[in-house]
This record gives sequence, structure tokens and C-alpha cells, in this order.
Amino acid sequence: MEKLLNEQVISQIKQTFEQLKEPVQILFFGSQDNCEYCADTRQLLEEVAAIDEKLSLGIYDLQQNAGIAAKFNVDKAPAIVIAAKDGEQVNDFGIQYSGIPAGHEFGTLINDIILVSGRDSGLSDEARDFLKNLEKPLHLQVFVTPT
Amino acid sequence: MLAHQMAMENPGMIRAEGVEATEFPELANQFNVRGVPQTIINDGKGIVVGALPEKNLLAEIMRAVN
Repeated sequence: MEKLLNEQVISQIKQTFEQLKEPVQILFFGSQDNCEYCADTRQLLEEVAAIDEKLSLGIYDLQQNAGIAAKFNVDKAPAIVIAAKDGEQVNDFGIQYSGIPAGHEFGTLINDIILVSGRDSGLSDEARDFLKNLEKPLHLQVFVTPT
Repeated sequence: MLAHQMAMENPGMIRAEGVEATEFPELANQFNVRGVPQTIINDGKGIVVGALPEKNLLAEIMRAVN
């Protein structure tokens, strides 16, 4: 299959990935059921994950791997979870993306990988205090478009 | 993504999901998404239009969860 990322883009990402610190586990959730962008999303993630050895990619199906989808609170396809990999343990950071990360959102994906790799949110003390002490679930859905 | 940074602080409680609006139009319509980015807090308890600085988004979250 033709590559989605050309050599110039790959070399830029490689440079950006020099900031990677700890291993990152990327989880892809696809579906056989009416999923227009699943194949492209999977291929894009495979190409990104191949760029740096600190990255690994798990491929799952929303229906066939329903248990894993539920564990990571994934209910759409394509969906991407960017998690921390500590030894054999995959630690969910609650970071997900539903849809193909194309255009501007491709940059978001790359930045999210670097963020998780650093294991630090970089937020202010005020934000950290409030969020750490939340006693009820918080679900943030950020709607974006590829342009 | 700022929402993703927030989830990192308490992943047991916080789930931050970037949603590609054109791929999930029913969901986007449900929340009346007209521009992007638009952040929906707890299924509509709070709505933030545009990319706000951290302290402003945090203030809206505080309002929405209380």
C-alpha cells in the first residue's frame, strides 16, 4: 500500500521524537462495521509507531475486543488511545481521539505522544490541585475538524 | 491538546476525547457544534467555544461540575 507519510514528513517527526522520554503505547480501535476511515487511521498509526522504538502499537476491534474497548472507555471507531507503557504495564491516561487525525490534528497526535512520553501534564498548580481532587467523573469532548 | 493534559492529572476520573466532528456528525449535532474547537463538558453541562487558555477552561469545568 502507498505510504501516507512521505520521507520529508517522517524525517520531521523523527526530529520531533528526539524529545521522547518514556515508552508510549498507542491503541487503535477499528471496526468491520461501516467504518470509512478505519483502514487509513490504522495505516497512519502504523507508520508513526514505526518511526521510534519508544512507541508501540496495539491493534484492536471495537466488537471483537469489546473487553479492552470497555477498559479504555472506547465506544467509537476509529479510535486512538495514547497510553503510558511502564514495563509490561499499560497505564491509561484518559487520552483518546475519535476519528482520523488528519491535517492539523496530525500535529495534535504527535504532541499528545510527546506529552504522554514525558509523563507530565505541564499544567499550573491550581489546575493540578483541582483535577487531582475531583470526586466525580469528568468527560471532556473536544470537537475538531481536520482543517 | 489541553483537555488531554488535564486527563493526565486524574485518569481514573477524567476522560478527554478529541472528536473529529465530520466523522461523527450525529454526536456533533447532538451538542449543536457549529465551530471548532468546541469542548463539551459532561454531556452538555458545560460548553466552551473556541480554544480558551487553561485558566478559563478550568473555570468553566469548575462551574460545570458543581
